[in-house]
Formats: sequence, C-alpha cells, structure tokens
Amino acid sequence: MAGQSDPHLSLFSPSEVEFVAEDEIVEIVPNIRMEALNMICGDFGPFFPQIPSKVPLWLAVALKRRGKCTIRAPEWMTVERLTQVLDAERESPREFQPLPFHYIEISKLLFDHARDDITDAYLVRSLIEDIRDVRFHKVETGLETISGRTHAVKLKNLSAMEVNIVRPFMVRTLQAFYKHDSPQMIQQADNTGSRSTPVTDRGPRRDLRRR
Amino acid sequence: MSSWEDEDSAAASAAATTDVELLKRAWRNEKAAPEILHFDSALVSRAREQIQLLEETLDDFTDNGVDDLVVSLYQMDLDRTLFLLRSYLRLRLQKIEKYMAHIANSEDLLSRLSQQEQRFAKSCKEIMEKHLEQSVLSKLPYGYDSVTRQSLSSTEDDMVPEPQLDTFVFCKTKSDVGAFQLDDVGEEVVDLVADDLYVLRYKSIKGLVEAGRIDLI
Amino acid sequence: MYARRASQLLKELDACEPGQLVVFNSDVFDQVIRECGEHNAQFQALIRKMVEQNLDIETTRNEDHYGAAIHHLSLLRNKRCLMAYMYNRAETIRSFRWKIGPVLPHEIQEKLNFSEKEYFRSHSSAIKSYISEMDIDLTVDMVPPKDPYIQVRVLEDIGEVSLGDHSVSLTKNSLHFLRRTDAEQFISQGLMEEFLE
Repeated sequence: MAGQSDPHLSLFSPSEVEFVAEDEIVEIVPNIRMEALNMICGDFGPFFPQIPSKVPLWLAVALKRRGKCTIRAPEWMTVERLTQVLDAERESPREFQPLPFHYIEISKLLFDHARDDITDAYLVRSLIEDIRDVRFHKVETGLETISGRTHAVKLKNLSAMEVNIVRPFMVRTLQAFYKHDSPQMIQQADNTGSRSTPVTDRGPRRDLRRR
Repeated sequence: MSSWEDEDSAAASAAATTDVELLKRAWRNEKAAPEILHFDSALVSRAREQIQLLEETLDDFTDNGVDDLVVSLYQMDLDRTLFLLRSYLRLRLQKIEKYMAHIANSEDLLSRLSQQEQRFAKSCKEIMEKHLEQSVLSKLPYGYDSVTRQSLSSTEDDMVPEPQLDTFVFCKTKSDVGAFQLDDVGEEVVDLVADDLYVLRYKSIKGLVEAGRIDLI
Repeated sequence: MYARRASQLLKELDACEPGQLVVFNSDVFDQVIRECGEHNAQFQALIRKMVEQNLDIETTRNEDHYGAAIHHLSLLRNKRCLMAYMYNRAETIRSFRWKIGPVLPHEIQEKLNFSEKEYFRSHSSAIKSYISEMDIDLTVDMVPPKDPYIQVRVLEDIGEVSLGDHSVSLTKNSLHFLRRTDAEQFISQGLMEEFLE
C-alpha cells in the first residue's frame, strides 16, 4: 500500500504473522519412519514412509528441509483453482473471494522451501501475486468510500496479511470520522480550593497522550 | 441482546483447543486490545508446566542419544511455545508501563493483573512520580504541583493518560452472535456472523472479548 | 508571547526520530520553569489587588480578573508542556531497557538529565524484579523463533571444521545444513552465506 503507515499500528510484524500461519495444518508424505511426536502444540504421527500425515506447516517445512518428506500442496494452490479465484476477484469489485486466512504466508513458505512439490510453481506464484494485487486495490477503494461516521465495517474473507497491512489506514480513517462527527464537549469546571479563579476549562480533557 | 453465558459451547471449544492455541489467542487479544485484559493465570501455569516438562524431556533425550532429528523438532516446539509465553507477558508489562498511573489507581484494573504484575505496576508508578516530582513538580508554584491534576482548580485527575477504549479493532466471532447492539441508544446494530471479519469500536465488544465469544485479530 | 518556549520543547520531541532522544534541553526547560514563577507572581499580585479593592474574586469580571485568568492558563499550559516533555522522554527511556538492556551506551547517557538517569536505573530494577519473581527472562526472544538449522553455501575454502561431535569439510561452493549458531561466525566473516532452496 502506498503511503506511510505506522508499523506500531500494524500490531503484528510480518514475521509474527508468519509465525501464526506456521501452525496451519498441511499434509506431508514422509520418506522415513518416525515415532509419534507428543508436543505442546499437539500430537502428530507416528510417521510411515509413503503414508500421508497431517502436521503443522512449521513441522512440515522442517522435515522437508531435512529431506525427510514431500509436502502436498493444498488443494487451493493449483493453477485451475487460482485462475477461478482471480477471475472471480476481478468480476466482483466489492467482494473478496474465500481463500485460506493465511494464504499469503502459506504460499510464501511453500515457495521458499518446497517449490518442487508444487505443480507449475511459477505460474501458481504469479496467479497469487495477481490475486493479492486485485484484493489490495479493492481494499484501497473500499477505504475511499468511507465518507462519514461509520460504526462497523465488514471485511468478509480478508486474509491475515491483508488485515495487518490495512489496519493502520482503516483505524485512522474510521477514527478520524468518528472524532469529527462527535459533539464538542464543553466542561464547566467546578472551582474549589484556594486558587479559586472563576475560570472555566474549555474543551475536552487534556492529557499527555502523544499524538 | 444475545446471551453470553453459553457455557456448553465455551467448554466444548476449550476442550478441543490446545494450550498453545489458547496462549496464541490470549496474545493476539492482548496485542489488539487498547486496555489491559484479565491475566489468564491458569493458562500461564499450565504452559509453564508443559515447558518445564519438555525441557526435562529434551535433557533426557540428549543424555540418551535420541535421534538428532527428533530432538530438533521438539526443540522447535519448545521455542515456539516459549516465544508465545514471553511475548504475552512482555506485552502486558509494556501496557502496564504505558498506563501505569491509570492502572495503579484503579482497583478494577489492578484486579486484572497477576500479583507480580501488581507489584510491578505500583513500583512503576512510584518511580515515575518521583521522577516527575524531582524534575518538574517540585519547581512549580504551590497549587500547581500535583502529578495527577493540572491545578487545585481541576475537578478530576486530568493528567493521567488512559487508553482509548473507542478505538477501532479488527475481530472475528467463532460462532454466530446475531444482532448485536454497538451503542447505548440502539441506533447502531450489527449482525455478527461466525467467521466473518469486522472492524468495530473496542468499547462496543469489550464484553464479548472478555467472555471469549469474539477474537481480536 | 506566552508558552512559546514551552512549545519549543515539544517541537524538539516531535522532530526527533521515534524511539530516539535528543539532548535534554535544560536551558529552555529552566526558562519555562522561570516563566511559571513569573506567571504565578503576576497572578498573585492581581488577585491581591482585587482583594484590596474589596472585590469578590469569585464573581468579579474586570480586567484584573481576566489578566489573572491568562496567567493561570499560561501556567497550566507550561505545566502540561513540561510534563509532556518529561513523560514522553521517559517513555523512550523505558523502551531502551527493552531494546538495549540494563546498561546504556555513553551516547545515550549524554542525552539524559540526572533525574532521567536515575529513572532509567530504578525502572530497570523494577523490570529485573519482575523477571526474577517470575523466573522467566522477558528480554530475550523478541522475534519469533526460526528453525535452528539453516542451509548455507560456502564462499571460500575453509577446510575441515569440527562442529559438535562430528567434523565437516567446508570446501568452496559446497552446501551444508548447519546449526545457525555454528554458521553465524562464518557468515559474519563473509566466508559463508545462507541460501534458500
């Protein structure tokens, strides 16, 4: 997204978004035998050669990098499905197509570490980039249509990375309209104490909050 | 107004979720919420126990020459859990730092803190007050030297920073909430559907967050 | 023009890179404190004058009343600026504890006034107490963990190297799957690079 954004307002760093995505379950085909893993994050395995097994993405990538398995690309990550999604994205300017919440992080991790397990990997990647672009553009346009005091925005099917990137802009836009439309508060200070100048404090509470 | 006390569904979803998932949710909610949330001491206790157990298991493994691969994988599981726990605790400390006076002056807010956090909050506040007293307040004329009020003519604590509860947050509900009233007057009603993403004012959904019906993302 | 000096302090804060500090401006700070004293003196004088004229301070609205009001409000504004200055600097100082640690480098120490140095030390202690009470170090693990092993390509002939309980032959252009901690020393010397498959 063009323009500056306060990374603090994004809340999650890109590596934190990726960290959360790494818990998504994917299917692997091991080429080794390994006993069950009873981990804090869950129980997985036992693993047998050529028998598919479901594990979190971080575990799948770790095994793949050590040459112990192949990763089965998720069924949404095919040229056919992604072409459908891209067409649908282009045809509906106000809706987002359903995609896994972490589709961006999942595809990135698979491209980085398991490219050979993805059929037509480069075409798949290019389709995903196009989908991202179309969706970002939709979010930007959507922001422009917020023209008054809005109390709720529905962003059906927006993904994790997209949420994180749009967050600062969205919050700032909504907050700005919210503030400007609310009635000004004029406080009458009730004066007591020895320093009793009959002075009224005008305006909303002052505070030391940094802008 | 929908009822929040749907204990059955809450219990069911709790049983099905690992402590890592719960910790992750607590971490995300804490990151996104403008105010400090309730300390989940049961969750933190359980997580620490599991971490300790795994650390001991890993020591055993290396002593008994267990396969390097298996050790690596458990190590990663441990690292990930530790990161979540540390992040969660650190986030809360930093929130306490940010709103130390506001928190330390409120019984309600203090009750959301663990005992150690309460001690920290009170220390923070004392240290800050001493610093402000020393550098600024002691040099100002009588009547203007309060740390919480601008002057004697202030009718309330008008110099204590507090979080903006009406800030907008991104959220998702796990199950349908249905028609939900966002404001006091009934002019702003939203239909909250499961798994849909909404951007709402935090203040409106505070109760739902506390009840675990809605997740901040 | 009242409160202009106080604004200068705030402008300095604003102009600074977020997360950084400029040198504590004790000159302007002291001037603002002095200004506060002057406002207070003027305020007192005007109130006294009204009292001597047997005017009800609460209800009278003459030029002295408004004069007093201006001094009071100017003092308040100066106070808010001074407090904001110290408070926001304190926020940055606290962040140093998390980002840097319990000991600050000389370049940063130079920018703090005496009270700020003390503040840093005390606040650092409070964090340390919490960490020791909880028995968990919160100053590490600031970013999500990665796989402890990385894929590397050797850039220059290094030869046989003993890593843990086995040795590896690090010849130029060879690829290896090593512990990040083992590889770091070579990477930082430019002898090796991490690479993605």
